[in-house]
Amino acid sequence: MSRLQLKDLQLARGGRTVLEHLEGHFQDAAITALIGANGAGKSTLIQAIMGTLTPVNGHIECQVPAVRRAWLPQQLALDLSFPMSVEELIMTGTWPSHGAFLGYCGAHYRRGRDIMQRLGISHLAHRPLGELSGGQRQRALIGRTLMQEAELLLLDEPFANVDIDTVEVLMDVLREMASEGATIIVVLHDMEQLARLADDVLILTEGHGRWASPDILVDRHTGQLSRPPRLPLTFPGSV
Amino acid sequence: MLESFLSLIHTWLIAPFSYSFMERALVASMALSLAAPPLGVFLMLRGMSLIGDAMSHAILPGVALGFLLAGFSLPAMSLGGMLSGLLVAVMAGSVSQLTGHREDSAMASFFLISLAGGVMLVSLGGSSVDLTHVLFGSILAVDSTALLLIAAISTLIVIILAVIFRALVVECLDPLFLRGQGIKGGMVHGVFLGLVVLNLTAGFQTLGTLMAVGLMMLPATTARFWSTRLEGLMVLSVLIALVASSGGLLLSYHLSLPSGPAIILLAGCAYLLSALFGRHHSLTARLRRRATPLSNSLDH
Repeated sequence: MSRLQLKDLQLARGGRTVLEHLEGHFQDAAITALIGANGAGKSTLIQAIMGTLTPVNGHIECQVPAVRRAWLPQQLALDLSFPMSVEELIMTGTWPSHGAFLGYCGAHYRRGRDIMQRLGISHLAHRPLGELSGGQRQRALIGRTLMQEAELLLLDEPFANVDIDTVEVLMDVLREMASEGATIIVVLHDMEQLARLADDVLILTEGHGRWASPDILVDRHTGQLSRPPRLPLTFPGSV
Repeated sequence: MLESFLSLIHTWLIAPFSYSFMERALVASMALSLAAPPLGVFLMLRGMSLIGDAMSHAILPGVALGFLLAGFSLPAMSLGGMLSGLLVAVMAGSVSQLTGHREDSAMASFFLISLAGGVMLVSLGGSSVDLTHVLFGSILAVDSTALLLIAAISTLIVIILAVIFRALVVECLDPLFLRGQGIKGGMVHGVFLGLVVLNLTAGFQTLGTLMAVGLMMLPATTARFWSTRLEGLMVLSVLIALVASSGGLLLSYHLSLPSGPAIILLAGCAYLLSALFGRHHSLTARLRRRATPLSNSLDH
């Protein structure tokens, strides 16, 4: 059974219902893409899953413990003037397993270094966060979620303002995390990235959710995207 | 030659502390120098450098009330100061939450109310000499009770700060991550503000409510010109505070200056010099900075 299920979920923001009658489950060990027009309720749903927004009705059944849930918001409220290096940021990911009080040991640092190597940011280990590019910052943040051994990972447009090399590295890492059993939910706007990455798609439109296979976005004969990558999308039977 | 040099050092730097009032003053200011600057570093990094100043006004009515009720008793005045400081912090926080008023303007309003209330209370109960004492302190009149209180509060602050350190760092950097971990950012923030109030109550006896902020903020803002790392900022700011407070005491002894302002002005001098000559972000660092070439192998 899936570890993350939505049961007749109704979400509101400022007294206005954003989503209602949301049903279904997110596949374990898979990447689900969350798509929809601006204001369709993608971020609202993510906040509800993270537990920072209480549903008006229905509920979310999540069997992943809070400390194993990781959230990479779109415009991260990261204070870049804060004197912290890439390595230190990644090490804060040990918190869930290690607690807030204990010091780090050699094994933690070794894992941190492995992660940085995996992400190709070893040479930036001691660089302050304020001096990183958008792509480097995104790699460091993914590094923190790897350190955290996140079992549920929510990413809000992780590939926005990020260079192509970083997109490739991050996609590989996400695939690897999914194959190791993590449930990953990604908000995406780019249909090409979606076709490459997603195992499952949840489309939010007009306050409702619709589950779909990513195949629906790709033409079976040509292998090309079957419709221009532009939102809002309409699907057979959705009107 | 060497002997006369040593005796000069003794007369200037060591002999003054053979007086017990100077000795107590030194220990008190050392204890404050260990606890206050790390708090200042966090206030500065959170963009709350002026909150300490505002908080110092908030403890005034409590101190005055303690003074009115129990006379010149340090425990009563400290307790009053602590309570009124925490009360104002909580009230400012809840007014902003309940009304949607911005927190900084709610705080500003409450601090001004408390400052006026405090000055009114002090004037009702005593002479202007008492007011000067509360506002500017008198480090040279620290007795054993006061010393014990200051040392105890400083120890408590250092311990609690060590316990919440990582949470505080994460909250400064990325509050959403902390919330994701199921820890309410507000709780960490509240404990931290509580520590700031505690520190100010420990400091008011020696430096006065207004000057106590100086030992918290000036070493922190000075250290920013010399280090870009958190550990560096912590260690440097404590060292600066230690030097400023012992140096300030010596200056006040030799030149008959008031001790609190002497300590803070010495820290202020360190700040100004660092702003001019510091390693990072200082005026000379700006002028000195040249772009480093990419690499010598990239010849063309």
